[in-house]
Amino acid sequence: MLDTAVELARFRSLLATLTARELKARYRGSVLGFFWSLLNPLLLLAVYGFVFGYILNPRLGDVEPYAVFLVTGLFPWIWFSGSLLEGAGSLLANAGLIRKAAFPAEVLPAVSVASHLVHFLLALPIVAGALVVGRYLGHPVGGWGALLLPAVVLLQLPLVAGLALGLAALAAHFKDVRDILSNLLTLLFFSTPIIYPLEAVPEWMRSAVRVNPLTPFTLAYQDTLFRGVVPEASLWLQMALVSLVGWAAGSWLFGRLKETVVEAV
Amino acid sequence: MTAAHTEGGGPAAQGPALRVEGVTKVYRRTTPGDQLRTLKSALLEGTLTRGLAPENAITALAGVSFEVAPGEAFGVIGGNGSGKSTLLKVVAGILRPSAGRVAARGRVGALIELGAGFHPEISGRENVYINGAVLGLSRREIDRRFDDIVAFSGLGAFIDEPVKNYSSGMYVRLGFAVAVHTDPDVLLVDEVLAVGDEAFAHRCLRRIEELLAAGKTLVFVSHSLDLVEDLCDRVLWLDGGRPRLLGEPRRVVDAYRQAVAEEEGREHLEAKARSDSRREAGAEGAEEPERDETGQPLRWGSRRAEVVSARLLVGPPGEARERYHLASGEPVAFEIEARAEEPLGDFVFGVAISTPRGTEVWGTNTDLAGFTPRGFAGRARVRLVCPALRLAPGEYLVDAAVHAEDGSPYDYRRKVFAFTVTARDRGVGVYFPEHRWEAEGDLDWEPPALR
Repeated sequence: MLDTAVELARFRSLLATLTARELKARYRGSVLGFFWSLLNPLLLLAVYGFVFGYILNPRLGDVEPYAVFLVTGLFPWIWFSGSLLEGAGSLLANAGLIRKAAFPAEVLPAVSVASHLVHFLLALPIVAGALVVGRYLGHPVGGWGALLLPAVVLLQLPLVAGLALGLAALAAHFKDVRDILSNLLTLLFFSTPIIYPLEAVPEWMRSAVRVNPLTPFTLAYQDTLFRGVVPEASLWLQMALVSLVGWAAGSWLFGRLKETVVEAV
Repeated sequence: MTAAHTEGGGPAAQGPALRVEGVTKVYRRTTPGDQLRTLKSALLEGTLTRGLAPENAITALAGVSFEVAPGEAFGVIGGNGSGKSTLLKVVAGILRPSAGRVAARGRVGALIELGAGFHPEISGRENVYINGAVLGLSRREIDRRFDDIVAFSGLGAFIDEPVKNYSSGMYVRLGFAVAVHTDPDVLLVDEVLAVGDEAFAHRCLRRIEELLAAGKTLVFVSHSLDLVEDLCDRVLWLDGGRPRLLGEPRRVVDAYRQAVAEEEGREHLEAKARSDSRREAGAEGAEEPERDETGQPLRWGSRRAEVVSARLLVGPPGEARERYHLASGEPVAFEIEARAEEPLGDFVFGVAISTPRGTEVWGTNTDLAGFTPRGFAGRARVRLVCPALRLAPGEYLVDAAVHAEDGSPYDYRRKVFAFTVTARDRGVGVYFPEHRWEAEGDLDWEPPALR
């Protein structure tokens, strides 16, 4: 699992070049290019905000305004799910590169993760704007805890990268993986306290939501951004543990399957 | 300090630039049912090929070993599917060998297949940077070489076009330009020079020669045997993934050519045997004349005498063996086996050689040679012996016939066999006399290298 990390560090210039290319391709060609990439999260935000915050509006607890609460959990999720979906297909999509040159395959899923991370970071002004509006409306949202956001992101990075690597290697061998993955992600999305606060989950189900590996990260994003407070120590510990396990499992899987990726794609 | 310690060190380090030790590569043929089982073995044992049932394993390379010295040009030849490209991919580090080891000293630059690792959607410029980064160059190092790369590729303004809009020639030109400008210590080139135009191929060869002169190493895979022979210092012949012969280019290339010609000769003999048996079977029923692919009859005549078979014997008298490939100038004999059911007092044997395109090369018969027939009944073997058959390299077809003195055929058989002639240098036409070039006066040139 260290091997993969070392390889990625060795090819960081390639990683940067490919990520820059990926972003340029996304934003090139139109004045609105950059905003198009924000459209998808904004649309999701609008739909969920309207459906859950306005139409259903059940016992959501102290999450006013709902749209601001939603955005703090939703944008990191989009980074996570986008990275995994695109990362899983990255080896297949770039078969030409890895079949014909001694191309470091681990770079490709990492590029998916990195480019989606950049999208996430570029979308943060929306979060900031939402917080400002929330404050202006008199809600006690935001605070100094936001300064810890980079730490949460950095802690989640090994998890996302590890899963993307492992899924990419699996998907290269088994084409079904991507279909299974998109269904799993849907399931995971609704079992993570993103559109609802953890407190709104009935007592008997709460422990089930708590074992979801994404829950501590989501709670930490809500703590740092929405509430503006410092997450509890136990949350940090859980995040570190989940991230370590995720990276270890994913990079181990990748290392095991790497040898035959070239033949499989 | 021992050699082992200095290996991989500075420029003073001696020893091979590339060492390939017992490399074997097994591909797996996958059946959907196997997938989960192989996944399990991959996870538990770290391999997808170990313990594979033999019918699901395809051995592309078996026990290939060689060393290439710095500054050496090493050629790899062999038929399609002989493992040449797999070998190159293993050496390039694209594929991992199933067994064995590859150790290369320094940076390995590979140009394998068209568009070695190009991303079709993005511009040539960005691809150069990506390619360079794959080879381990920093952005600044690529910046420094960028103009040279573009100049060498001759792409000009096309460098900013997406690579998918390139012609195959442009692909190769850019790929080659990157590969040779990134200071590879070992350069792997696979059958790509054939794609570019003549001028670019020459530029590539000059660049390769410069690299070799600078002590870099070349591994060259090609079907162009002449090029391999000219360029390489040693040649490996792969046959079905196994090394068949390794050594001096001329010897290996000639042996390979001979084997290919033998294979063709064998196919020809088999085809002949098939047509013979078809003819015998057909003799029972209505006699349909055999025809060649253009619809021309292959055999005609009254059959008062018959050409039972004809063959080519190559070699000096006493050592001649039946074969259908020869070097220009070798002694040969065209042998006709003939049969006459009833006694004949009037018979002429003839042999004619033509090219596959129908040009008559030479023909003669026993009448032209001045023989007077007395009698023929039963069986006979007639040989036309040439102490040195000086034909230009190429394929030839032979007709054999027995006919009457007035020319009316008893049995005329067209294309009774084919043979292949090889020669050291090329020429135009069909005749290949012994020759050399001389000159006096105010000119200077370099004679061809001693072969």
